[in-house]
Amino acid sequence: MTTNQPPRIATWMLKHFGSGLNNDVVLGDLVEQYRQNGNAMWYWRQTMKAIPVSFFRDIRGHKWAAARAVLTGWVLWILYVTTIFPLITPYFFGGNWGVELDPRHPVGTAWSILSAPVGLQAAMNLHFSFLFGVGLPLIVWAMCGWLVSAAANLRIFRVKNGNPAERKLSLRYGHEKQTGVILLFAGSTLLFSLLTSGMFIHQLQQQVHAPSTAWLNSFVGHLAASVAASILGILVGGGLLRERSSRA
Amino acid sequence: MSPQACASAGQIELALHLFLQYREQMRKGEYLGNFDLMLLLALMRLGEDAYGVTIAQELEEQTGREVVIASVYATLERLQERRLVAARLGEATPERGGRAKRYFRITGAGLREVRDARRSLMNLWKGLPELKGEEA
Repeated sequence: MTTNQPPRIATWMLKHFGSGLNNDVVLGDLVEQYRQNGNAMWYWRQTMKAIPVSFFRDIRGHKWAAARAVLTGWVLWILYVTTIFPLITPYFFGGNWGVELDPRHPVGTAWSILSAPVGLQAAMNLHFSFLFGVGLPLIVWAMCGWLVSAAANLRIFRVKNGNPAERKLSLRYGHEKQTGVILLFAGSTLLFSLLTSGMFIHQLQQQVHAPSTAWLNSFVGHLAASVAASILGILVGGGLLRERSSRA
Repeated sequence: MSPQACASAGQIELALHLFLQYREQMRKGEYLGNFDLMLLLALMRLGEDAYGVTIAQELEEQTGREVVIASVYATLERLQERRLVAARLGEATPERGGRAKRYFRITGAGLREVRDARRSLMNLWKGLPELKGEEA
């Protein structure tokens, strides 16, 4: 049996995670062809391929803007865990703790930076605070996501009617460029979180006094919630989950 | 070193030089890729009615392979940047969920590129014993 409406989830995914100027036109083409062939599998296949195709095209077309935007996001998060952390931890745990950057141990430092809200509580053997481990990271990553999208749209252009050497900063809010950049930022966060967490957990298991399975399960659960919150925060802050009107 | 060894070293050097030259030209976007050429030919065949759905259908019909519509647009955007293709926004229709079509047409520069590619390919095809008896 075929229905007139294409699969809603696939449409939603392409609408929100598809990049580029032609995303709405692609969606229109897929809907039109789906109404001719009624093949849901074909529709899913096309939408799932359209997301990475448009993503890579978008990033390739705006390499510098993407690099600048992702760097902005990472710098913000690093600033948060190194400078804001010691200011807010007394309200949660009584002591002011932060993350120290140690270039001699890059993997350990990267893990500490990424998983600081959960790692800190585990290292200090504190009772897990959901607000500190998941709630706050959600808000902070959302702010990072918002600033990343702003940085992606920051344009420096030459002023035509004036001094030709004069350059002016301009903030332009177009959605075309920010989808790919936000996905890149969220993807890099997820990838680094998985890699460094995997290495850390493996190291924990190899220790002579390895933690109990129950402790490890609880730790992994908290870590997964924190990572999920960070990705959700980036997507929300970057405006990817916002309902949008047609923009063809 | 024997004369044969010298000759083969020279051939390798020449092949490497040609390969690097080809890579450099590809990097600059001077040559058309296989899919680029297929798309330009599809645009020529479709004329005024060339948009995502019709282009994908034409390519599928001619090649027998499923075409990803997003890849069609990604390639057309690239060709548009090289001014080989021009685009215009069409009308929004209810069967497309109220979304507009984007029509494409080949430009004069695009047509010249297709002619050049055809000439180069025909020259390369000529006199190859492996392809004798097959239709070009």
